[in-house]
Amino acid sequence: MASAAAAAAAPSKPEVLALLRSLLRTAREFHDYNVREYTKRRVLDGFRLSKGLADPSAIAAAFADGKSQLEVARRQAVVYSLYAPEVKSVMEVQR
Amino acid sequence: MMASKLLASALRRSSPSPAPPPPLRRLLSTAAAAAAVAEPYEEASSGVVMKGVRISGRPLYLDMQATSPVDPRVLDAMLPYYLHRYGNPHSRTHLYGWESDLAVESARARVAALVGASPKELVFTSGATESNNISVKGVMHFYRDKKRHVITTQTEHKCVLDSCRHLQQEGFDVTYLPVGPDGIIDLDRLRSAIRPDTGLVSVMAVNNEIGVIQPMEEIGGICKEFNVPFHTDAAQALGKIPIDVDKWNVSLMSLSGHKIYAPKGIGALYMRRRPRIRVEPQMNGGGQERGIRSGTVPTPLVVGMGAACKLAMKEMEYDHRRISALQERLLNGIRGKIDGVVVNGSMERRYTGNLNLSFAYVEGESLLMGLKEVAVSSGSACTSASLEPSYVLRALGVEEDMAHTSIRYGIGRFTTEEEIDRAVELTVQQVEKLREMSPLYEMVKDGIDIKSIQWAQH
Repeated sequence: MASAAAAAAAPSKPEVLALLRSLLRTAREFHDYNVREYTKRRVLDGFRLSKGLADPSAIAAAFADGKSQLEVARRQAVVYSLYAPEVKSVMEVQR
Repeated sequence: MMASKLLASALRRSSPSPAPPPPLRRLLSTAAAAAAVAEPYEEASSGVVMKGVRISGRPLYLDMQATSPVDPRVLDAMLPYYLHRYGNPHSRTHLYGWESDLAVESARARVAALVGASPKELVFTSGATESNNISVKGVMHFYRDKKRHVITTQTEHKCVLDSCRHLQQEGFDVTYLPVGPDGIIDLDRLRSAIRPDTGLVSVMAVNNEIGVIQPMEEIGGICKEFNVPFHTDAAQALGKIPIDVDKWNVSLMSLSGHKIYAPKGIGALYMRRRPRIRVEPQMNGGGQERGIRSGTVPTPLVVGMGAACKLAMKEMEYDHRRISALQERLLNGIRGKIDGVVVNGSMERRYTGNLNLSFAYVEGESLLMGLKEVAVSSGSACTSASLEPSYVLRALGVEEDMAHTSIRYGIGRFTTEEEIDRAVELTVQQVEKLREMSPLYEMVKDGIDIKSIQWAQH
């Protein structure tokens, strides 16, 4: 229990900002227009929602969740790039 | 005789054969594979040409009621089960089976949690159509000696209506309840339709075409009062509106995966245990899923559905807020620029990801064809191939001409504001163009009442 509490220590501000930057960078790597836009939006909204957290354990939980989401996003950005369609969304085509 | 046959075959050989259509598979080919094969269509910069339609890019997708894309987080959960975790969940003798079984059960718990049920009350099926078939036909077949009557509504999904039609052929009675102009059933009519031999009431939670939410708790209350099993098709409701099987008092509930960002080919059936509802299985075999649905459970798909349900639970509020805002943006955008736009179905009791609009004085098919950069449909995907107006809209009492020009916009988790703005722009442009050509619109502008015109029969 004690070790769990130690592991769940709240992250420092630079750590949080680094996670945010990594998530946004990974979001940009998605080839799919909709997934890319969603990931960017969800990351920013997620951090905005977690901004008001005061309880250290809640902050630690949100941070751990963000970390695991980053792993998912990194893997999926690769998968999406492997199967990227040749034709982009009309939203990305210059009119 | 022989000679004529020879001549015919010779003619066939000499007549110029039409060029084979471009293989569809190639359109879906990956970038890596495309390097090896010839370019399936013209340069990527000039867009896609398919079925004779040229589009500058992949259309923006606004047909979420037909199906939704798989969420990358869902795919991430599924992939290990397509790679090394390939065990049959019913194998009891080795690790492969155990890990698959564990994954299936954890997915079952996640689906159950989203609808307030016990995992033991859920059976995985191939989708909502199968669940609906098991529910409607299975219940009536099981209780066939005492129960001979089914109540459903006119706006149900085709698979419920067709199952009822099938029961009618077997000699069962079916009452198709009408709906009001807002798409909602009249509870008093439901009450008076119940007979001593009514074996099932089946009412869908959220309509697939018009997104109208039926008063589930009230219907459940009536069914409880008369002690009639209540089935609901919640394919369009799962993960979008809060579902509680006890509040709704449903005995059976059909769920689908591919409407909530899980893959196609997976669904679930909720079957109440207390009081127990029993069905006659449609599929006989190895006795999987407690004998209700034999056949090996597709672990990757089930894991996908479980992941999608877990996500839906976490994201429901966030998605709802966003999708509601987008629906408002779409409706206000279109209404702000053109008149004669009617929302089909209740606006108050509606899932906000659905917007079914009719445009007066335009021709529906031309409108849909003109909107080739927006992936929308006129109604359900199952009937979108026919030119008939939707039976759901007709049940609402929508006039024939307005039912012909309906477009269903389906907004989802991945829809962006820019897509909505583009959809508004393209819709308005197309409607205006069609109205310019329409003699009807000219007459209306001149103040002629179209309803007073006597049309020649044809």
